[in-house]
Amino acid sequence: MTDHFKERSTRDYHQKQLFSKEDLERRESLCTHEDPPFCNAACPLKLDVKAMLAAVTDGDFAKGRSLLEFISPFPEILAWGCDAPCRKVCRRSEIEESVNIPAVERAIMQHSVVPKAKGLLKLRKKQRLAVFGSSLFTLALAADMASKKYPVTLYTEAEDENDLLRRCVDLPEEILERQKPLLKKADLKICYATEIDRAFLESEEKNYDLICGAEYLKIEEVDPVTLCDTENRVFPHAAKKYSPILQSFFDARRAAVSLERIVQRLDPHNSRPQEGETESHLFTNLSYIPSEEAVIENGVYSREEAIREASRCIQCECVECFRGCAYLRAFKRYPRLLTREIYNNTGIIMGDHMMNKALNSCSLCGQCTVTCPNGYDMADICRAARENMVDTRKMSLAVHEFALLDMLFSNNEGFLAKKQPGYDTCHYVYFPGCQANGIAPDTVYETYRDLMNRKEGGVALMLGCCSVIAKWAGRRELYEEQISFLKEEMHKLGDPVIIAGCPTCRSTLREHFPEVIGLWDVLEEIGLPEEHQTLAKEVMIHDACSARNDVATQYAVRRIVTSLGGNVKEGAWSKDRTACCGYGGLVSYVNKDVATEMSEECVKEDPDATYVTYCMACRDRLKRQGTDAVHFSELVYGVSADDSPGLSQKRKNRKQLKEKLLQEIWEEEIMEEKPSFTYELSEEVRQKMEDRMILESDLLETIQAYRENQMAVFNEADGTLTSQHRIGNVSFWIRFTEADDHYTILSVYSHRMTVRTR
Amino acid sequence: MPNEKTYYSLEADQHLVCHKCGVHLIKGNAVFEYLDNAFPVELPICPQCGFIYVPEELAMGRVLSVEKVLEDK
Repeated sequence: MTDHFKERSTRDYHQKQLFSKEDLERRESLCTHEDPPFCNAACPLKLDVKAMLAAVTDGDFAKGRSLLEFISPFPEILAWGCDAPCRKVCRRSEIEESVNIPAVERAIMQHSVVPKAKGLLKLRKKQRLAVFGSSLFTLALAADMASKKYPVTLYTEAEDENDLLRRCVDLPEEILERQKPLLKKADLKICYATEIDRAFLESEEKNYDLICGAEYLKIEEVDPVTLCDTENRVFPHAAKKYSPILQSFFDARRAAVSLERIVQRLDPHNSRPQEGETESHLFTNLSYIPSEEAVIENGVYSREEAIREASRCIQCECVECFRGCAYLRAFKRYPRLLTREIYNNTGIIMGDHMMNKALNSCSLCGQCTVTCPNGYDMADICRAARENMVDTRKMSLAVHEFALLDMLFSNNEGFLAKKQPGYDTCHYVYFPGCQANGIAPDTVYETYRDLMNRKEGGVALMLGCCSVIAKWAGRRELYEEQISFLKEEMHKLGDPVIIAGCPTCRSTLREHFPEVIGLWDVLEEIGLPEEHQTLAKEVMIHDACSARNDVATQYAVRRIVTSLGGNVKEGAWSKDRTACCGYGGLVSYVNKDVATEMSEECVKEDPDATYVTYCMACRDRLKRQGTDAVHFSELVYGVSADDSPGLSQKRKNRKQLKEKLLQEIWEEEIMEEKPSFTYELSEEVRQKMEDRMILESDLLETIQAYRENQMAVFNEADGTLTSQHRIGNVSFWIRFTEADDHYTILSVYSHRMTVRTR
Repeated sequence: MPNEKTYYSLEADQHLVCHKCGVHLIKGNAVFEYLDNAFPVELPICPQCGFIYVPEELAMGRVLSVEKVLEDK
């Protein structure tokens, strides 16, 4: 065993920054999921329009009202006088008429009542505010500050509340009537019929801490952001961007922020929230949105009409990556947040690495890069994080050890590199890939025989793993070692052109070898063999994720399937948008649940269809889900793959394929080593071994060790023996009965911890 | 280490006999070790050859869950 498999503590002080701050921010900025909807971004008062319309759709008018009250002390006045910048940017306007948001607001105010609850108890503030004037700006500011528990006195020339409201806005009497309870509820001291002039104002000014001067002081300059003059008194601003009513509420909001900063003894420019309209880059896919006719406002909407109009809201959000990715859905995080959490995970020196499972559960298939409108590359982030944690010794070996040992098996006991008999130099080498060798040995055998017969120039054979497993595990050193090994072996064969049987092998080997073509390319060139099967039906193609962006391969396979008689039906998730079957990125070893969801995702469009694949791992995983899946080479050669072989069977298949080829094609004699004992396993024990990733070879070694050292525990109650043997980093236990040289295995289990006496 | 904390204690089942030595297993001091962590425990041990018995429920239960926690430390 090499040093790669020495188990070390993951508590290590090594640290390496995953991305620079700029790189992290650049990556995160591509995900617009958290950007506000356009209506919200356009509203200077930052009304949560989306939530308000969702509440009304659910019939919750009280919630709609509370959202409106949050942004304005007189929401009904706002609803009648707002020029609705939100409506102008509503995404539904790209399909038909936009949602009539102000009309829904008017309906909310009509069909809901003033809440009785007073809200949270707030402590009364000390600083007193005097507001002079009779405009909507002064009234809104006074009410806003009063709601923040500042003692506010409003001086107005108006005779009474009717007169005051009439001076503020020009709206029908019945609406003004409904504002009176709000005015009463506001904790305001209103001094009616006050004759306000400059002298009065200047005499009163000294009694207050804060002043809103309104129109009675001639001010040379008001700051356009803070609305303050040089003496920190606030005034309405002359510039009018919105309708008078919206502008008044917006100015009052900004003036209130300034007054609070002044109270805090800060420059009013400090710590201001984003004010006015903001920019949003949110992507909303309109292709999924059905058309819905606008509800005409005849008077104020009835409850039902308001609900109908509110339900026209698209509820804008970007979920493009979620639609096709079972991994992101399982972890319930959009790429931006997921990236930040993975980034933080790599920086933890002492403590729990909570995101290890998440960063190891991505199939690295790259689908999000295609489905995201901005090309977010989650695979690159997860791969980089795995490499980073391996490099800094924070990634436990246990996570990927089984898969890595499987790779080493393929490149040792299962490895074979031979020139075609009778050829000194071979122009080609067939590289079926470890999954094809393990799942479909007979198909691989037939494929090679056909290539030897029909492809001119000599075709050598190499059984092995392309090393992508080490790459997926983030084990760069091991990957380089394995690639060097393959290079040496290829060199011994005379550096032939590689014919890859698997699209993942093809894309991996292409990074290291000058010419790598696909089996599908060769079959297109030499034609199908005579004995091929005929597919006289409609089929779907499950594209391999490693052939994403490889249009030539995608179409070559389609042409072959068509030649076989298949009528290819294209789904919305085919070609570049294809999902991973759950084998990629070693997910099936780390997170079986997510891997299963990935397999289900692949056939969600039509679970009953026949799926033709061109990657044997896809074929195997889809078949295990009960899908009618077939690899194109099974059809081409009329030889089926194994029926869902287990982990041990895959290894056996690789070994047996190698032996069969050596015996039958190179006429070599194989010395079969048979154990000196026999054993039997029930189906239940086999399943347990599969679930616990225990191989039959581990079992055999454990029995052998017992036969040599006789170390076991005998249970007098049931007559069973239990023995233990450590192989590498794992202790294997078997419970069995023994009769001469025959063993009946009753259970198998393992643990990685070591145990000793003290 | 007489006062050392014991994380887990398992009585030796009276039916358990060391196959090699032919004597009953008794509760003895053992220690689980993983990734530079050590957990003193009491498990059924052969008093003669020191064979330590880890039952299936323990291996696939507590041992496995502690392994997972330590792997993510």
